Amino acid sequence: MNAPLTLAHYMTVAGLLFLIGVFGALTRRNIIGILMSIELMFNAANINLAAFDRFLHPEGVTGQALALFVMTVAAAEIVVGLALLLAIYRGTDTVYAEDFNLLRG
Amino acid sequence: MNNLRLLLPETVLATLALVIAFADLVVPAKRARVLYHLAWLSAAGVLAWIAFTMGDASTHGVGTLWSVDPFSQFFKLTTLLTCVLCLLLGLDYAELPENQAGTFSALMLLSTAGLMYLVSATDLLLIFVALELVSISSFILAGFERGNPKSNEGSMKYFLFGAFSSAVMVFGISLYFGATGTTHLAASAAAPGPMLILGLVLILLGFGFKASLAPMHFWVPDAYEGAPTPVTTFLSVAPKLATFAALARVFGAIFPLQAYDLTLLFSIMAALTMTIGNFTAMFQTDVKRLLAYSSIAQAGYLLIGLAVGTPLGREGVMLYSFVYVAMNVGAFAVVQAVGSAKGSYDLSAFDGLCKRRLGLSLSLMFCLLSLAGIPPLAGFMGKLYIFSAAVQTGQWWLAVVGVLNSVVSVYYYFAIAHRMFFKEPSDDAAIPVGAYIYGGVAVAVVGVLLFGVNPEPLIAGVRASTQILP
Repeated sequence: MNAPLTLAHYMTVAGLLFLIGVFGALTRRNIIGILMSIELMFNAANINLAAFDRFLHPEGVTGQALALFVMTVAAAEIVVGLALLLAIYRGTDTVYAEDFNLLRG
Repeated sequence: MNNLRLLLPETVLATLALVIAFADLVVPAKRARVLYHLAWLSAAGVLAWIAFTMGDASTHGVGTLWSVDPFSQFFKLTTLLTCVLCLLLGLDYAELPENQAGTFSALMLLSTAGLMYLVSATDLLLIFVALELVSISSFILAGFERGNPKSNEGSMKYFLFGAFSSAVMVFGISLYFGATGTTHLAASAAAPGPMLILGLVLILLGFGFKASLAPMHFWVPDAYEGAPTPVTTFLSVAPKLATFAALARVFGAIFPLQAYDLTLLFSIMAALTMTIGNFTAMFQTDVKRLLAYSSIAQAGYLLIGLAVGTPLGREGVMLYSFVYVAMNVGAFAVVQAVGSAKGSYDLSAFDGLCKRRLGLSLSLMFCLLSLAGIPPLAGFMGKLYIFSAAVQTGQWWLAVVGVLNSVVSVYYYFAIAHRMFFKEPSDDAAIPVGAYIYGGVAVAVVGVLLFGVNPEPLIAGVRASTQILP
């Protein structure tokens, strides 16, 4: 049981994480749950970037640098999302997506 | 960092945006309107700067992550023009909190600066950061009427779709990086393979969200209906056109569609986007929602120009984009005037408008007819260009779907015109129209009529700015 980890392992984990994130984002009812699923998708991309950087293109640091950018921007995005959710929660006392149904047609 | 000086205009604009955001802290609330004026004057200044240096070859060049060329400058002009007009509309929009004028206009300018970086970007890193700058500012702008539950809900839905699609796009970028070892967009670095194609398709979906293309369009009606009307106007024009510019650069100049077998995918997306937009718009009763679906349909027409993938198609996209600014801003400006006065954006608010405000109803009619593509208005020239480009490359079915869709769209555009001219007004409430709305409508209608009757100068301008540097 000491076979080395290869790129395929990392890519499988990242792919699974991404699919779990997509599934969660599409089926969760709680907005906080959707936000967490979206974070999973961002992190799947980060695993991919770090693994590609290490295994396929070890001559530079582009992949790692890009992963840092993704983390920062994702954090900024989620902050805005939580602020919007807080604004809604003050008015409606709910965080469930199906209760947001003023706009339709 | 090579040639950072090429990005001076957008950097100046972003700096001015930050200055305005901080000025918000020191300017007393009752004088906050001055910040709106400062904001639109800054945008207009940068607009004039780019317009006057556009033909100067020393302002063009290739940098580390960007390339500034006539093509990008053209789309910077459309973006800035939209920004100026929308800030003017914002001056006459009473529902915006007066004491937050600085925040509002700073976010508008930041989002414009993001779009200007986007149209010049030749590297996925810059594309990602620019798109996020635009998205994050637009999420806040869409929810700016904090007391209005619809605005909150619309921006929440916008945010969820936006975050989801940027996550999809980042995953695509990671696959692109794996396939090529770089984030720079250059076909020479790329060995075609399944990983590269999957990466490009996921990146396309990320762009599709911003441009409201068919599988990623669900947020559009909700966000547009909830957002403050000047913001709706901005969202329906500027990000859409800038995304089309980025798509034309990535999938037209760097990775030609034909070489990667993506033509069919683009054609199907275009047909789907038009059809869904037009057929859903027919059943709307809220005018902002109706115009939201109409703007989805317009994105479909524009996508035909990209799916064609020829120089003529690209010219058609540029021509239609410029005309689209005028007709959509004009339509939304009238909608804002009527909606604010009536307190409702229901279609019945337009009953008998011509008996009370003949100028407004004529302007709205011109803009709607232009959106439908009726000659001799400007929208007709744009559509003619795009459809003939499709015919020229033998994609007959795409042109036929486009023409059929235009016919369908006439139905719901005329439904509004019918209400304005042939119904009795439901009440006698005055419809006050602010000076800035008059200005916006006048610019738009003059553009729609002028470029429809005499399109030669615009066509010459478009032909002179099709060049894309690698």
